[in-house]
Parts: sequence; structure tokens; C-alpha cells
Amino acid sequence: MLRRDFLKYLALSSAFFLGCAGKAPSSTPAPTPTATKMANLYKSTFVLGYGKDHKLNGGKWGIGFFPKIHVLERLVEYDLKKDDFVPCLARKWEVEKNGKVITFELERGIKFSDGSDFDASAVKFTVEWLKLNHPLGRDTFDSAEVLDNSTVAIHYKEDGFFNLAKMAEFHMSIMSPKSVRPEGDPKGKFVLPVGTGQFRVADYKEGRYAIYEPNEYWYERFGIEPKFRKFVVDFIFDDDTRVMALESGQVDAISDYVHGGSAYTPRNLIPQLEKMGYRVFKRIIPLTWIIAFNYKKEPFSDVRMREAVDLAIDRNEVVKIFDNQVLPAKTLFIESAPGIKEAGVVYEYNPDRAKELVEKAGFDSADMIVDKAQSDQILVAQLVQQKLKDIGINVKLEVLETGAYRQRRDSGDYDLRIYYIGGTDRRFYLRMYWRFYPGCKWSAYVSERTGELCKKILKEFDEEKRKKYLVEFYRAIHEEHGVVPLYFDVMTVAVSKNVVADEYHLFHYPNGIPFGEPLFYDVGVRA
Amino acid sequence: MKRYVAKRIAQAIPTLLGVSFISFLLLHLFPGDPAEIILTIISGSEPSYAEIQRFRREMGFDKPLLVQYIHWLSNALRGNFGVSWTEGKPVMEIIMQRFPASAELFFTTFAISLAFATLLGILSAMYRDRAADHFCRIFSLLGISIPSFWLGLILIWIFSVKLHLLPAFGYGGIEHLILPVVTWSFSFMAIKTRFVRSCLLEALSQDYVVTARAKGLRERVVVLRHALRNALIPIVTYFSLSIHHLIIGSIMVEVVFSWPGLGSLLVESVFKRDFPVVQALVFLSGVTFIVVNLIVDLLYVVIDPRIRYGD
Repeated sequence: MLRRDFLKYLALSSAFFLGCAGKAPSSTPAPTPTATKMANLYKSTFVLGYGKDHKLNGGKWGIGFFPKIHVLERLVEYDLKKDDFVPCLARKWEVEKNGKVITFELERGIKFSDGSDFDASAVKFTVEWLKLNHPLGRDTFDSAEVLDNSTVAIHYKEDGFFNLAKMAEFHMSIMSPKSVRPEGDPKGKFVLPVGTGQFRVADYKEGRYAIYEPNEYWYERFGIEPKFRKFVVDFIFDDDTRVMALESGQVDAISDYVHGGSAYTPRNLIPQLEKMGYRVFKRIIPLTWIIAFNYKKEPFSDVRMREAVDLAIDRNEVVKIFDNQVLPAKTLFIESAPGIKEAGVVYEYNPDRAKELVEKAGFDSADMIVDKAQSDQILVAQLVQQKLKDIGINVKLEVLETGAYRQRRDSGDYDLRIYYIGGTDRRFYLRMYWRFYPGCKWSAYVSERTGELCKKILKEFDEEKRKKYLVEFYRAIHEEHGVVPLYFDVMTVAVSKNVVADEYHLFHYPNGIPFGEPLFYDVGVRA
Repeated sequence: MKRYVAKRIAQAIPTLLGVSFISFLLLHLFPGDPAEIILTIISGSEPSYAEIQRFRREMGFDKPLLVQYIHWLSNALRGNFGVSWTEGKPVMEIIMQRFPASAELFFTTFAISLAFATLLGILSAMYRDRAADHFCRIFSLLGISIPSFWLGLILIWIFSVKLHLLPAFGYGGIEHLILPVVTWSFSFMAIKTRFVRSCLLEALSQDYVVTARAKGLRERVVVLRHALRNALIPIVTYFSLSIHHLIIGSIMVEVVFSWPGLGSLLVESVFKRDFPVVQALVFLSGVTFIVVNLIVDLLYVVIDPRIRYGD
């Protein structure tokens, strides 16, 4: 009897678990009028492999960075080369009280992807929602005031140019009040992002995929036609699997995580992909990988030791780890970053001088920590270890699990670590704040001199004066050897042979604004 | 029997309490003030002293540890593990979203491994030191030695990139299940094949087997009906105790194949220091293990009619 019951329960539980089997995405949106024109030339679906979940239901930092760029837009965008903030959803703005209040005049006639009008109340809603729900919004906004249908005044907690700079940031993207329930309630529950950007969300399965459709209002606004009806983004978390998914034809393209720094196409696989006929588009971004010191304790509280490390690193050798797919950082940021050319600061390689400095300082050992999850950085750290050994510093390298790494980092129990400054273009000033502003949790280096300069940079609206402070800042960081730049990162997109794409459209908005993040509005897959 | 069941359940309670206490302690064992850790993760910035004090009072961190534990346990027993610090959603909702994928992968792997490991173990024992045994030994050795992530990548390269037969990643129909299951089964059944072989060889050396053979029974009957049946208790115990994989999954397989299961959730949560999710997964894994252990004890009666419990 008992045996029979056992078999019965086994059969029932097997049936239950077979019933748990999922189904492949089957959403097939109706064709839009513009998309049908392209039907004969291109496939209706474009599939992208991507290394991070889009978090379309929200999270601690809101939705993912990808939909922030592709579903939403911002009031302003940032042109790194010109160090200029340019109009996007706002046509112009007026700065009052040195940036404590900025009044934005909005573009008229723009619609959200659901057909509702974009207006001042949507900006007010976004500001209030961010203030209540987002760490950056909480630190930034005081209130928003609707002056008329297309004019909104944003009141900030503090004054300064930084307020305008932050408006181009991912997190400050504008969303429709219909993104939450109850609609328009800043305290409401976030449901799904509704924006004015290139795409609208059609379907989303956490940890698996996101499906987007072209937002016809956006395409009409820029007078272009989409080359696909459905944009499927498959989340493939393992870097090697992502590359093989491209090779197998399961996805049409793969792209780096738009935040930069992780979940990217392994750099040493790029030449191999190119050899096989895949096109790889690369865009250098102002994200610099550095050696960060624990400069508050010995041995790196001694500037001679920091200088020694700086002089000991051959950056040309560092980039060989990445098969020369990234660039050696002989300046603090890439050449097109504001003030870099004018500063004329170059980081040198001089191991003999480094050895002398170490001898004078009298230290011969250091602890270096590295995050196990960042496998490339382990290789970089090993090279740094070797280079420092050559100048007489024995580095104990500890490869730690992410949790343990963060714990050691936050408690200050280390001497050296690999870190990054900057980000994609839009984050240039935000990361300046996070890495160099006095009192920031995620700082890389702060001294009295650099901290004061950082404060001035983030206060100053006048472009020329700001550049002057930036130049002084780069020189100060170099003189104090606050950080050691190693290499500049890139943002890549690899596409299969039948994908129609060009570098300009992948990294420029239709109105010509350069983007550090790849854009897919003009991509098509040949039928 | 009833008394035995009641006794075993009573014995399981202290173990369950121990598991729950360890799960609860995870947050408190982490260096630093729990209130500060939580606030830092939730807000993304360093909280002020006043904020920490206020939060400590609100969350009850100012109360004795035992009081906090009882409060946590009473919620956990009702399936309430709180809200994820990074997702802002109830922990059970997150776990239940991932559970079907984990269950599908685990039970398919379990069923296939059970069948093949038993078959190979029997063959290996029946043909000891012959070609079949050598093959099974090499198979087991490879299964134990080859890392799952490497095997997974190799299988993707062969079956997706070169042959275009199976998808390289993802969760969906049967075709998505094949490569992850093969990858996991390979390592899953390697040790179990060896275990079945050694249990069976031990049973085959017993006197009753000699008697069965002396009676003129066919070798197949001797092995399957007499020896295997007697070797089943350790085999069933060993197989069943792998049930904890249902909760923690095969982390490497889930990561390589982008399988949205609980294993990858555990890894993500550990990386993000999302303690409520980690606590819930550790607790549920422990509870599952204990419950299955109890069921296996009771199953012994079914497997071996000589076993009688207590009454």
C-alpha cells in the first residue's frame, strides 16, 4: 500500500514539474505603417545578446541602464568633445541663483510612446518620483514647479553647474506619469517605463529577455523609418556564451553593458570575431581604469611611493592583456575629455626612477585586492604585481569574492586596488563627483587641493573657467600621484554579416549628438 | 510507525531551529552594523549617524538578538522573508519566479542521472575489471574532473556554433533544456555511478548472493533482484540528499546557459549583499534537506521490508 502511494506521488510530482516548463517568447506585435515599408528588405526581428537584465520592473536604481537610454530620454544631453550640454527634451533653459533653480522650456509636440503628450507635468512627476525613490534624486532635487504646459522650474538642494550636468545622467531620464500605479502618483508603484525614446516595451521576462517595438512617434519626430518591427534583447550573462550565441546565429548582435566596465565582449575575442567576418564597432569612452591607493596609511600616504607605482607601469604592456583592443592611458582621461589637451600632463614609464624612489621611501611591501568577478582585472593586477616587484615592492595579491572585496574596500583594509574613474560621456562630471569630491563613499583620491578644485569644477557654469579648473585638477592629481591611470575602456558592438549598421548611427543620436552608449534605432537585419 | 514518525519530526525540530538561526545570523555575522549595511545598500550612499539610529529603532535592531530572531522566525514560518533590498519586492515573490526554472532543470537532471548512474553502476559492478567497468570508471573520472562551465562551453561550441542543432542559451522549450541537463548530468552522475558500483559490489560479496548463485539463478536475477535491492538503502540515501541542489541549483550551469534559476539568484544576491534573499535561500535549502532526509528515513520501510519502526 505504502509503495503504491509512493509511486502515485512520484507520478503526480513529475507531472507537476513537467508542467513548470516555460515557453519561448511568442509576442508578435502588429506591424506599424512605417515598419511595413521595410518589410521586404529586412527581417522583422532584430535580436541582441546583452549581459545584464533590463530590470524593467524597477530596482534600487530604477530600471536598467539600457532602457534608460532606449526607452526614455533626458531634458539635456552632453557633448563631451565640446564640453557642452545640448537640448534634448528641453529646447532651452535658464539658470538662476547659480544653478539652485533651472527653468527648462520644453520641446512642444513630443509624445510618449503610448500617445500621451509630453509636458511640464511629466517632468514634475519624474522629479518628484526620483526624489522619493532614487538615491541620486534624493540627493539632488528639492522640488519642481510647473510654470505652464511647456515650462518647468526645477529647484535643487544645492547650487552649482553640477545640477545641469546631472540632468544628462541615465537616472535623470524622464518617464510618463503612466509608468506608475496609481498613475501620476510619485509614491505609486513602478510598473513599466513609458518614455519618449526610440522604443516601447512590448514584453519582459525577468532574467530572460526584453522585447521592444519601435516608438513610431520618436521615429516620426526624426523623420526616419525603423528597419525592424520587434527588437528582442536576450540576457546572456556569461561573456563567452554571448559570443558563441552570436557565432551560432541565435542572436544578430552582441553589445557591451552600456554602463561600461563589466559584461562586455571579451577583448581578446574581438580580433577572432573580426577574422571570422563579424564587424565590431568600437567607441572609446572616458572610462579610465586606474590603480587606486589607500593613501591614508603607509606606505602610500608617502607621495614618493605613489609616484614610484606611477612610473613603474608600462601602459603599453597593460593593453596587451586586452590584445591591444583598449588604449594605454597616458593621460587621466581620453584626449577628447575637456581640459585634457590643455593640461598637457603625460604619465610616464620610468622604472629606474621608480626604483630610486622606493629605495628612498624605504617601503618594500604592499597588499593589493582585486574582485574575483572582474577576471580581466585579475590579469591587470598580476601584471602590476610583477612590475612593482621589478622596482622592489613585493605585492601580496588577494583575489577576493565580490562581497569580501567590497568589505575590505569599504573598511580600508588594503594598500592598492584596481578601480575606474569616468564612465560613458554623460557620466563625466557625475563620476568626477563620486571619485574626487570630498566625503564621497566611492572616492578614488581626495586631497585638500584636488577636493577644492573638484568643488570649483562642479560649481562653475562658465565653460572657460571650468576648463581652467579642470586643467589645474589634472595637474594636481598628477603632481600628487593620486591615482595611476592604466588604460581607457571602449564600448563595443559586434554584429553578424547580415546586419546593416554603421558606426555613426550606432554612436550618434539622429540629431547628431554623440552617445557613448550604442544605439540600435537604425540597425536592420537583411532578409 | 506513527510513534517513529512523530519522534523523527520532533528530532528534526532542533535541527530546523539551528538552520533558521544560522540563516538569521548571516546578516549579523557580516562585519559592521546591520542597520548601516542595509541603509547603505538601500540608499546607495553613506547614511548619517542620526539616520542609522532612527533606522535601528524602526527595524528593531536595538532589541536583544533573541527577540529579533523570534520575530524573524515567526515571519519566515509564514513564508515572509521580508523585502529584497535591491529589488524592492517580497523575497518569496522573487524566489517563486525563479523556482519553476530551477525545478525543471533539477528534476530532469535528477531523473536522467538516476537512470544512467544506476545503469552504469550496475554494468560496472556486473562486469568488474572488464571493458564495461573500465569505460564506466573513465566516464566517472571525466565527470568528476571536467568543470561544468568548461563542459557547457564546449557543448555550446559543438551543438550550437558548429552544428546549429541546439540553442546556446536561454529558457524555453525542451531544446533549451538539453545542453544544461547534459552538462549538469555529466558531473551529477559521475560520483553516483561510482557509488552504485561500490554498493553493489559489496552486496555481491554477501553470503545470500553466493546462495542465490548456488540455487542456479541467472546472474541478472541475482544482481537485480537480490544484490541491488539490498544495496538500495545507501544508494537512495545518497541520491536523495542531493535535493538541496533544487534550491541552490547548479550555479555554474545556470550562469553559462543564462538559466533563470535559484542558483544564479543566490550568486547575484551574494554579490549584491541582498541578505534577505540569501537568508531565505539558505533557510529553504536547509529545510528542504531536513524534510527530504526525513522522507528518506521513512522510505526505508518501502525499500527493505525487514525494516520495522518502533510500534
